Amino acid sequence: MEFSCQWLAQYVDLPADPQELARRLTAAGLAVEGVSTHGDDTVLDVDVTTNRPDCMNHFGLAREIAVLFDVPLRRPPAAPAEDLERTAEAARVTLDDLEGCPRFTARLVRGVRIGPSPEWLRRRLESIGLRPINNVVDVTNFILWELGQPLHAYDFAKLAGGPGGTIVVRRARAGETLVTLDGVERELDPEILVIADAERPVGLAGVMGGLASEVTAETRDVLIEGAHFDRKAVRTTAKRLGMHTDASHRFERGADPEICGEAVSRAAALIAEVAGGIVPAGVLDVRDTTKTWTRHGRLNLAKLDAFAGVHVDPADAERWLTGLGFGVDRSGGPGENVWGITVPSWRYFDFQPRPEPPHETYPQDLYEEVLRVFGLDRIPAALPGIPGADAPRAENLIRRDRVRRQLAASGYAEAIHFAFLDPARDAAFPSLRPAAQPIRLANPISEQLSVLRRSLVPNLVETARFNQRRGLPAVRTFEIANVFYERAQGGIPDQPEHVGLVCGGRLGNPWEREVELDLFDLKGTVDALADAFGIRLEARPADLPGVLAGNSAELLRVQGGEVVGWFGRVAEQEGYPLYAAELATAALAGGDVSLKVELPSRFPGISADFTFTHALDTPWAEIERAIRELAPPDLVAWKLKDRYRGPGVPEGAVNTTLSFHYNARERSLTQEEVNARQGALNQELERRFGWKG
Amino acid sequence: MSAGEGIASARLGNWIEGFEGDAAERGQTRAQWELLRIHWAGKKQGVVRGLLEEIKRIEPEQRRAYGEDVNRFKEHVERRLSAIDAALAAREREAARRAAAVDVTLPGRRPALGSLHPVTLVIAEMEQIFAEMGYSVAEGPEVEDDYHNFEALNFPADHPARDTQDTFFLEDGLLLRTHTSPVQIRTMLARRPPIRVICPGRVFRNDNDLRHSPMFHQVEGLAVAEGITVGHLKGTILAFMRRLFSPETDIRMRPSFFPFTEPSAEVDVTCQNCRGQGCEVCSGTGWMEILGCGMVDPRVLAGCGIDPDVYSGFAFGMGVDRVAMNRYGIPNIRLLFDNDERLLRQVRG
Repeated sequence: MEFSCQWLAQYVDLPADPQELARRLTAAGLAVEGVSTHGDDTVLDVDVTTNRPDCMNHFGLAREIAVLFDVPLRRPPAAPAEDLERTAEAARVTLDDLEGCPRFTARLVRGVRIGPSPEWLRRRLESIGLRPINNVVDVTNFILWELGQPLHAYDFAKLAGGPGGTIVVRRARAGETLVTLDGVERELDPEILVIADAERPVGLAGVMGGLASEVTAETRDVLIEGAHFDRKAVRTTAKRLGMHTDASHRFERGADPEICGEAVSRAAALIAEVAGGIVPAGVLDVRDTTKTWTRHGRLNLAKLDAFAGVHVDPADAERWLTGLGFGVDRSGGPGENVWGITVPSWRYFDFQPRPEPPHETYPQDLYEEVLRVFGLDRIPAALPGIPGADAPRAENLIRRDRVRRQLAASGYAEAIHFAFLDPARDAAFPSLRPAAQPIRLANPISEQLSVLRRSLVPNLVETARFNQRRGLPAVRTFEIANVFYERAQGGIPDQPEHVGLVCGGRLGNPWEREVELDLFDLKGTVDALADAFGIRLEARPADLPGVLAGNSAELLRVQGGEVVGWFGRVAEQEGYPLYAAELATAALAGGDVSLKVELPSRFPGISADFTFTHALDTPWAEIERAIRELAPPDLVAWKLKDRYRGPGVPEGAVNTTLSFHYNARERSLTQEEVNARQGALNQELERRFGWKG
Repeated sequence: MSAGEGIASARLGNWIEGFEGDAAERGQTRAQWELLRIHWAGKKQGVVRGLLEEIKRIEPEQRRAYGEDVNRFKEHVERRLSAIDAALAAREREAARRAAAVDVTLPGRRPALGSLHPVTLVIAEMEQIFAEMGYSVAEGPEVEDDYHNFEALNFPADHPARDTQDTFFLEDGLLLRTHTSPVQIRTMLARRPPIRVICPGRVFRNDNDLRHSPMFHQVEGLAVAEGITVGHLKGTILAFMRRLFSPETDIRMRPSFFPFTEPSAEVDVTCQNCRGQGCEVCSGTGWMEILGCGMVDPRVLAGCGIDPDVYSGFAFGMGVDRVAMNRYGIPNIRLLFDNDERLLRQVRG
């Protein structure tokens, strides 16, 4: 928001160096983001935060400057020379919606001559980038940027009902329309607050006037409206009609309800000065007399110091508050340590009262006001003396740290993707809760980023393809993040954490002992991850969306039996095949995490291999189960050693080689003992699974 | 010198000449050396042995000189045989070494390690620094409701302050959290002071251009206790920034506005690119805007059932992604989420 230094200097003496002015304003919460020259003027670009609508005009900013540099503030005159006619007899106003418009003031100027504004007025507007229009409209714009009160000038003769006609502030009726000053025809509805004459709406309250009653070259009598509109009413209108104006900007943030009368009087005086005309006596002023914007509070100086962590000189605090328009009553209590404070009307919105009687403002609101002038940079740094630590690290966080570290150590690079994606891609892979429909964004960036992910895999596969296309001979990435499932009963969706992995390609070269990554590299990584948490996972063959038939499985927790993940070979292939897996990390909780170790035997063990031929469709899981069932004494470990298909092995069969290891706790086993035990086991495996042709 | 000695020396010279001629021929391999040794120094048939036995046939008066010559010759042969033996052994060791040698400068086979994301590492570092100051980590959902994301944080309904948040809405009125502040609310609703937590996590804004990503990461902090001051806020942030960046780092607080804190401030830190000298990164100011903070608004405390007349607190929040970009030299936020493995796998830590 731009401010002219020459304009500001009308109300306050400025320091010689505009950079000094910029520094001091910035340090008090009015960030000056640019200082530029405009002819012989200097223009400040100030970022006025939404809580300070009172500083969105030159007089308001001058008030801050007066306090910051401890110089006097000059209030602009607002007393027109008045005619005998009384404004209140020439025009009448009815407020139908006191909530939307609690105060309405107006002034008339009769017999104006519309023409260009004088040089000084044009320069003021041009200095902050506004375009002069005509002397009457320019005065209303000038007042908005001087005092912060949005004004509207009507051609009084064009208001239906003519001179003496009544203005109504009311909700629009269904079906009503209004062509606004910008020439756009607006369809109105009862949510929209309008200014109307006897027949029809003539303006959108707090947003923009109507074209029909616009001030033109022929206008003789001007009615200047200066009203206070409720910020919610104005915001509703502006949002419904997709409009944003200088007026709505101020009303939405909370304009000063007590400056309307002064603003219309100053406008009338200036119009009479620059456009001629006679000003009838008095301000037409209608208001909701039950409403007050006055806020009260108490400032305890000792508590201010305790809050700040520094001593603030009470004389300074009083001078600053008074300069900013606060009433300071020091007759409060014993020791004069607690002051009664009255908040100025232009700050009412920033000082919302406490819900409980006597509905004072919070003291912190006042601390802020004093400390921003004091300067936060002057407060000495300290550390709070809260003893001990807050709480131990939560289990799920420790688990996540370990998952990350283990997968990184397993060769996977951590990726981070957006939480939203293309609905088609989201649907292309398995969801652990197939019944839960994807959750759509109401205002996505694009259709490609419009649903919340139910699986981490689609993005990981997309990333794998991206890396494949860049020529990487192998890809391995993982992500740990939450997915989103709607709840049947509605409300905040379930957002469980998952870990997803994708791999594929050839790792290394002959020197590095290359590996062609396949489904079992991926499965092993997932199994090892589960094992680190004392969890055993079982793969149950399952045909799943997006993965190659016969190459995918659901992962079940052996403890509990529920499905907690899946893995498979990605069906769609582009370059080398990709393998994907997903696991709910909650499945890693509650495992057997006993730290006790089993002492190895002090006696030597004996190993034995066994190769047999069996049908290709005999699942390894069954063989494993049989070995577990039949395990001879002192069998301490067994493993799949090799699988072979090729010459010498019948079609439809496979040679499986198993390795076994025996070790007794208290003695050395003999080869004969082991041979006997292993022989019996081999015979039984052969009997159950052996190839029968 | 006697004439006899001169004659004896000539004799010895002939013997040595004979031996050396043979040694030059047969001293090259272990097998030949063995034959050489047996021929000259063999205990039974050796030349030296023969010369010793010859003494019986020497004139008695010549015997002494002859004996001395034989002894000197014997010493010579033994010394030379042992020297040749040593040279052969050295050559054998060298050959054996050469046969077994590997080129130890060949590349080692590294375990195929992966990597953690820069954002993960920066969050971990921030968590560590705050853990040392006694803070714990709190988390909350990414899909939130209006109450936790706005209302409880003193964003009044229909206030323009909400417009600054570029919120993603769901079709049922829920939203993607625009900051991790709802976690502060959930923490204050669930616990009583003293509270010291930081809230790292993903946040979402409907803002998608070269400098903005619709998803990014924040770490927010909250401390609520009796007697928390603005000075404590400042001291905590200063201590944190000095650990995160460098002990010389300075901060600057500019009052600002956030609905959920008062007073509120934007915090600038010494530009890490130019150490405060002024550069392109900081637009010549020497400062980087990095963090927003303030004293928890009494309305927020009261809404969470914490008496603002008894307790005070501070809160702060910062973007993680820009710190990660600064640290790893990543010029564009979008590169953080492209997940190019060639970039990700360079990240150490």
